[in-house]
Amino acid sequence: MKFKRRKLEIVPPFVSMADIVFNLVLFFLILAKMQDESQIQWEPAQAAGARPVAKAKVSVTVDKDNKVYLNAKQVGLMNLTDLVAKELGDSPPGERTVLLKIHKDTLAATFEDLIAKVSEAGGEMVHVVEEERQ
Amino acid sequence: MAAGPTGGSGGAHAAWVMNLLTDLAFNLLIFFVVCASSAQEQKGKPQQVPSTQSETKQTDTKPQTVEVAMTRTTVSLNGSEVTIPELRTKVAALLANKPKPEDKIVEVKSAKDTPYSVWIRVTGAIEEAGGVVTIQVDVEKDVIVK
Repeated sequence: MKFKRRKLEIVPPFVSMADIVFNLVLFFLILAKMQDESQIQWEPAQAAGARPVAKAKVSVTVDKDNKVYLNAKQVGLMNLTDLVAKELGDSPPGERTVLLKIHKDTLAATFEDLIAKVSEAGGEMVHVVEEERQ
Repeated sequence: MAAGPTGGSGGAHAAWVMNLLTDLAFNLLIFFVVCASSAQEQKGKPQQVPSTQSETKQTDTKPQTVEVAMTRTTVSLNGSEVTIPELRTKVAALLANKPKPEDKIVEVKSAKDTPYSVWIRVTGAIEEAGGVVTIQVDVEKDVIVK
């Protein structure tokens, strides 16, 4: 008695391909997000008149432990001017925005020097704050 | 890679494809949620602080500048203690007759223990009153002792 063999056609799972692609995209998106400043602990100060700001090339953060970060990398205050100037390069006025994310309890001994150094580097400063709640 | 069933009952095949499409839709949803969360806007206040070099040029012919001093708990305008709303009004009054930007300079002196939260509110009030904030920073100089 002869039995006919069923031909098993192997077809790539096209629907699963899209699934895999989206999983990969999500993986890289989340990986990129983890390399940002989310691990730096700081709380913004409150001020009136805060407006939405576009993302800038340069951001300087001072966390609750008084550590200074330039684009999420810890740096020293002494060479901040040169580093900011290097990041800004030859950008024309209007494209030299530097976001200042200073923890609300940082003392003047730290942030005044920082502001002076960013100003010396030619940065156009934008203080990242929370809208003041009344 | 798993082989897709090409034969078998149509219902089982359709159910299998529907499962994959549901999975795909869920992934799309997560993708857009992650994109939206990373695109959150930040709010900020632009501030222009004249550079120290331009400030030294102005001290040669020094106009009468307004001085605001602040400590951890107090704010004073030209030596008189004020509240922040009063500061805004008084600075606006002092700068009212000064049309030139160089005449609107307000020197801000902060005690070393002044917190940033106080500083940003005071400088915000000064800028709302039309003043241009300059920071007085202690400069270290090397003195050669013979």
